Amino acid sequence: MTATGDLARQKGRSGPSPAVVPVLIFAPCLIVYLVLFVWPQLSLLTTSAFDKGQLSGVHYVRFLGDEYYWELLGRTLLLGVCVTLITLVLGVPVAYVLARMQSRMAALLLILTTFPLLVSAVVRSFGWMVLFFRDGIVSNTLQALGLVDHPLQLMYTLTGVIIALAQVLLPLMVLTLHGVFKSIDPDLEFAAMSLGASPPLALCLVTLRLARSGIVAGSLLVFSLAISAFATPGLVGGARANVMATAIYEQTIEMLDWPFASTLATVLLVFVLALSLLYGAALDRRAKSESVA
Amino acid sequence: MTFDHISRRQVLTGLAALGTLPLLSSRLSAAESFSGRSLVSSGFGGSTMDIIHKAVFDPFDKATGAKSTQVPMQSAAALARLKSEAGNPQIDMFQFSGGQEDAAKKEGLTQPLTSVAQLNAIPAEMKDPDGHWVTWAVIGEGIVYRKDKIKEPPRSYKDFLKPEYKGHVAFPAITNGYGMDFLVMLARAFGGGEVNIEPGFEAMRKLKGETIFKAASDLPSLFGQGDIWIMPYDTGNAFKVQSSGLPVAFATPEEGSPAVNITAVVAKGAKNADVANAAIDYMLRPEAQIEIARHMRWTASNPNTKLPDDLASEVPNVAQLAKLDRAIINEKRPEWTERWNREIAR
Repeated sequence: MTATGDLARQKGRSGPSPAVVPVLIFAPCLIVYLVLFVWPQLSLLTTSAFDKGQLSGVHYVRFLGDEYYWELLGRTLLLGVCVTLITLVLGVPVAYVLARMQSRMAALLLILTTFPLLVSAVVRSFGWMVLFFRDGIVSNTLQALGLVDHPLQLMYTLTGVIIALAQVLLPLMVLTLHGVFKSIDPDLEFAAMSLGASPPLALCLVTLRLARSGIVAGSLLVFSLAISAFATPGLVGGARANVMATAIYEQTIEMLDWPFASTLATVLLVFVLALSLLYGAALDRRAKSESVA
Repeated sequence: MTFDHISRRQVLTGLAALGTLPLLSSRLSAAESFSGRSLVSSGFGGSTMDIIHKAVFDPFDKATGAKSTQVPMQSAAALARLKSEAGNPQIDMFQFSGGQEDAAKKEGLTQPLTSVAQLNAIPAEMKDPDGHWVTWAVIGEGIVYRKDKIKEPPRSYKDFLKPEYKGHVAFPAITNGYGMDFLVMLARAFGGGEVNIEPGFEAMRKLKGETIFKAASDLPSLFGQGDIWIMPYDTGNAFKVQSSGLPVAFATPEEGSPAVNITAVVAKGAKNADVANAAIDYMLRPEAQIEIARHMRWTASNPNTKLPDDLASEVPNVAQLAKLDRAIINEKRPEWTERWNREIAR
């Protein structure tokens, strides 16, 4: 803001008046957003609400009245929840350690963490396919360790999709959490410990609680990417682990039923929006009640 | 209306006239020199496109002096391209594998083939009655199996249900074109067919526990891991897996091989229509068709093609192809897919 002010002063106030500046700053983004997001969403909605040129709820009735599609939606949400939990459990410790690390290695390790993001999700999914086939490394290792007594096929299963997708999305969780942990003053933990809290208790009571906003942001990011992921479920899941994204593709490309594909997309969007709002509201309420207490 | 009728008759008369002079016209087209001319065709991309180029376009260029290039695009995208450039096509010749030639003709995007002497030899069901498209190769589907696990070559689609193969079968999802054909062929094998699909679903329900895959890219892994012995797929992919060193073979089922037609059309208004016609004529010649069979294991559409014995056993003959009623299949596709998703993949 001061930079803009300085610039305006240097130019002898020949530029636009200060009130216009925010509008100008937002204008390009707003236009792009309207043209590339709001407009397509609206046309998606209209496509799903029309049948043979007439306003109709027939596509929604088809979705809501068919337990197959409820199962599809349920499987998709289950996928999102599982992937989010796995990335949280794996990501929190990594992000915490990386944020607290004093050595020069920290920066290098952070770069290494984000390295998988440089490889396309398609390539990473192909990698998992090699591991997941019945005589792949995963199955062979588990058998050698005596954990399973027969070849384990993770390929073409939802479990396989969850594992592969968790790996694909983990760096995003770590990156989000890392920034938050980094911004929490370690002295707060020391303060809690000096008042008698054991280190794990201090971590839970102080750091994790302060990191809540980051955990929410990371979870929402991973959840929404997981339920809309297409490449990994398509490659690893196959026909038996169908999810909403692959069903939308099937309706659009194979069946050429665009109205129903739009319906699937709209239903998914509504559920994600509702879940995100509920999740955010619940954490918000807890934060408020705690601050009052 | 009248104009259509006349032009159609003219074409037919023209074709008949050509038929009386096959030798002369073939000599003429061979002598034709296209030096300095170019031909742009759509192609299928990847190794398929490279092999076709080596087997067909390179020798054609050598014989005529033309310079041919293939632009990779999937069939649906190729049709879209042809449509968007209607009247002023940048690509002279299009190759389709998904039946797009019919739509292209209906929308007036193609022109009748001229001076394609070999057209006469091609069976009627493999070419347009008005001469707008011709099938220049056929991908035969059938049974792909592990030679080391299954000693006696499978003979029928019924063999997929043999108890000794239980747990060792894989088949493509219905959204993969071969998955749809598998359903129809199972129905035929058990007394049904396109109009009575029930026996197909009934048989496939018995395969519910088997491996279902979506894409051809899974084939090497599936066969490589050792416990998949048998699946319905095509000669071309069987050959690719075989070339990678796996003991895999192709068997033509007694119910016949469902097939995917590879067609060629000349774009309406193409700048190099004469070169394209000559190239199509070249592609239909037995010597070119043998090369395609050798390097792709695709079936020759020209019945005059005599494959060497070693090839003949691995590629179904054009007479062994099962003719599926694509119109019914396309009409029923949404219904069967919905049903398949519920009854088989669930």
